[in-house]
Amino acid sequence: MVEIALGTALAAIGAGMAVGFAGLGSGLGQGIAAAGSVGAVAEDEDMFARGIIFTALPETQAIYGFLIAILIMVFTIMAGKALPASLGLVAIGAGAAIGFAGLGSGMGQGITASSAVGAVVENEDMFARGIIFTALSETQAIYGFLIAILLMVFGGILG
Amino acid sequence: MAEDIATIVTGLGFPSIDAFLAVMFLILAIFGVIVVISTIRPVLSMFPYTYPNARVRARMGRIFTEKQFSEIIESGNIEEVKNYLRGYPDYAKYIDQYPLEKALDIQLAENYDLVARISPENSRDSFKFLLKKWDIKNLKSIIIAKEVGLSPEETMDLVIPFGELSDKLDALIDADDINEVLSALEGTEYTQILEDSIPIYQESRMLLPLESSLDKYLLENLLRTVATPEDDNTAYLKNYVGDLVDSTNLKIILRAKVDGLKFDDIEPYMITDGYQIREWKLKDLMEAENVSGVVSGLEGTDYASLLAEAMTDYNETGSIAAFETALDNHVNDTAKKISLKNQFGIGPMIGFLSRKEREIKNLKIIARGKREDGFSPAQIKEMLI
Repeated sequence: MVEIALGTALAAIGAGMAVGFAGLGSGLGQGIAAAGSVGAVAEDEDMFARGIIFTALPETQAIYGFLIAILIMVFTIMAGKALPASLGLVAIGAGAAIGFAGLGSGMGQGITASSAVGAVVENEDMFARGIIFTALSETQAIYGFLIAILLMVFGGILG
Repeated sequence: MAEDIATIVTGLGFPSIDAFLAVMFLILAIFGVIVVISTIRPVLSMFPYTYPNARVRARMGRIFTEKQFSEIIESGNIEEVKNYLRGYPDYAKYIDQYPLEKALDIQLAENYDLVARISPENSRDSFKFLLKKWDIKNLKSIIIAKEVGLSPEETMDLVIPFGELSDKLDALIDADDINEVLSALEGTEYTQILEDSIPIYQESRMLLPLESSLDKYLLENLLRTVATPEDDNTAYLKNYVGDLVDSTNLKIILRAKVDGLKFDDIEPYMITDGYQIREWKLKDLMEAENVSGVVSGLEGTDYASLLAEAMTDYNETGSIAAFETALDNHVNDTAKKISLKNQFGIGPMIGFLSRKEREIKNLKIIARGKREDGFSPAQIKEMLI
């Protein structure tokens, strides 16, 4: 059996949390937005392109989570060194930051996107305003992403 | 530093830092699961409504605006109204196929049918039950057609091909008399209701008992489908259905008081358990001497102020149309409030059906105004609801 240092194992948990929770939020949000878009397209075929745009917006949270997970893996697990437990805990903090922020932001954005799709199919002029409202929920994921990066830089993972 | 941490950890009773971290991780994992579940639960309750709501909101966007209604009202005659409607795909597919009023009803029925098909499971039964309103409308039309001796072709123009009886419609239309209508309905829930109410209609020649007994069946059972709300969505649906029931009860009582009918005459047609107006209150209202007694008996309910306003019109014209309009507007307002309060749930569906119903009623008013001579656009506009 391969011996894994405690710090490395903790970093693996951090990477898992980053992509897992962010992906969960993004998936749920995208599912809600997609269900609304399918309904809109069923009534108006011209809604396809706009439906895709709204459905794609909650994808970003999964991308942030994926990026943080990759960074954690590259600079800790894949570096091939035994990692101290303290660095492993920093990785968990970074993973939790983007994971939970992505979870809330993704679901919120999905709900807004679905509502915006309904508004646009009812009144075409709502497209730009719908995009703005939907983009607002992105900020929480950006906060989580920034904090995760800062934790990794000043916590010694990316240093 | 590391030694200090190790001392604290062993002081807490853990054999090693690894064991301490394992326990900490377990606590964090439990905390994470609680956060995830409590965040996801409300979102999942919205999920079943996103598809149907997008569809009904698309249709809501196609409901005629005030400007479009003004354009229709300005049409020179009924043919111009039809031409205008031909410009809208929702109506175009029916306008050349059926007489105008039937085309409008079919368009409305199609929307009820869509909502019943796409609504989430916990409210589907109620919307499916609402579809029976087309069965009831068809039965009323067929019975009256048989009584006045309309031909099957003429009867066909009155019938809407929606509802659970749609596969029996041909047999019902071809029936020679009411007895044959009853035999064609054998095995359906309507047999008993009609066997009880048709003799009363034939004896009195009054449509009220026949219409009321069918409406009572529909609304009483509709109310039963929402009797125990499972969540906010079904509670809102109960509110809407309850307001429909209350307003139907009030319309029957007011109409009966204008006709001078007493408690025993009205009682069989009342839907016993209303929403705001419960059974004991209904009894008080039925026992009222006249229309103003009914209005004053409503003190303490939402209906008191809106019917008191309509009372002035009633005193001037002697017609209960003002009361009926006020009650219809109240139901529409309830639907509008629900659609604003519950945007991610059942609200848009209720709001849409109510607005669509109103659109069709207004189009029928315009059609009637254009068909009959002597109505100016301004007068027709005044009649719209």
